[in-house]
Amino acid sequence: MNQQWQPTGEENLYRSDLPRVLQSSRPAPLRSVLTVVITLIIGSLIGIVSAFLLIERERPLLPLTIGPWEAYPEAGTSEADPYSVAIYTRGALIPLASGEGLMLTAHTDSEGRRLDPTCTYSVSGQTPTARFWTLSATDENGKLQETLAGRTFVTSSGLLRREDGSFDITASASPYPGNWLPLPRYARSSDGMILTLRLYDAPVTTGAALSGATMPEISRVFCQ
Amino acid sequence: MTLSKSMSWTVGILATLAIAGIVHILVILSIPKNVTHSAYAKTADFGADFQFNILSEVLPGQEPLPALDPAMTHAVCRFQIEEGPVQFTASLPVPFWSIGLFDVTGQIIYSLNNRTAGSETLSMLLLSPAQLSILRENPPEDLEDLIVIETEKQEGFAILRAFVSHPTELADTKAALQNAACDLLD
Repeated sequence: MNQQWQPTGEENLYRSDLPRVLQSSRPAPLRSVLTVVITLIIGSLIGIVSAFLLIERERPLLPLTIGPWEAYPEAGTSEADPYSVAIYTRGALIPLASGEGLMLTAHTDSEGRRLDPTCTYSVSGQTPTARFWTLSATDENGKLQETLAGRTFVTSSGLLRREDGSFDITASASPYPGNWLPLPRYARSSDGMILTLRLYDAPVTTGAALSGATMPEISRVFCQ
Repeated sequence: MTLSKSMSWTVGILATLAIAGIVHILVILSIPKNVTHSAYAKTADFGADFQFNILSEVLPGQEPLPALDPAMTHAVCRFQIEEGPVQFTASLPVPFWSIGLFDVTGQIIYSLNNRTAGSETLSMLLLSPAQLSILRENPPEDLEDLIVIETEKQEGFAILRAFVSHPTELADTKAALQNAACDLLD
């Protein structure tokens, strides 16, 4: 009796001898909803964590590199990529504007080895033309650390130079004759180190001029 | 239609990655709009708006703002242009000083240093296009000596960096920074 009311073509809907693609699975609303919710949660977690990791680096993704030195002249301009905008805004980092100067950072020495605050380095050579510049050392998170001398920087104004204008700065935790950049006194290797060179009133603030610029070499003298 | 087991896993992973990508982009783009951590928000801690507040010396463990040059003495001023044109004046007897104007998200509005300013004194006016057209009708007498900057931005902050080449000049520089003004044009 009921047989005639069965919609035609659906009586074999759940037949198992059909090819797999033609088979229909029995509806399982709870499982479907659960799958969608889990997909959403895992997807959102991956999205948030990956964004967080990139922002917490506090280092622009695509810097301009000259040897070990990195610069990001687009910082604070409308050409900056969204990642850098997020990094700078979130970290309350105030970039040096092009009319002020240019900041360059080094996370490694000239041979590509990670900078270690317990080692002694020699920063030598020449910088691009600038009215004056400062060189400072921080830990890997960009924080200044206490040094033996009290100061955490050297400036170009009190520097001993060779006749050709080149210089040689020794970066070390213990005092050094000549140009001495004091490094953190209580630092461990794991703290990492960043050398920051800030060129003030420098004509080379645009990327094109910068790529051909000469920057000082950073060479490791010895490690304790 | 039923997907094979490996196919449904593939679809699941692709869907997860697509959502991850969308969320990632949304998070990155929304950070500059959620500005509670920004430099503009932090500069409110140093004192009132419309005046240059001198930041404490950049020393280990007590840096007033991240990534400031320890060789410099800094002063910051927050301003809101909707309240009127903002005039910046300073006279700093140091070998180098520079000023950078930034908006809420940290984007540069304008910057200059003592060489590009052409004199030891800073005299600058920041205003909106509407305020500029009003000002043109009734220009102040010293307009020619002013650097006039037009901006669409509503609020922001200025940071004044002064280089002290010797510690003995620090007191004079601080006094000069204290006299630097960042106030509404009357």
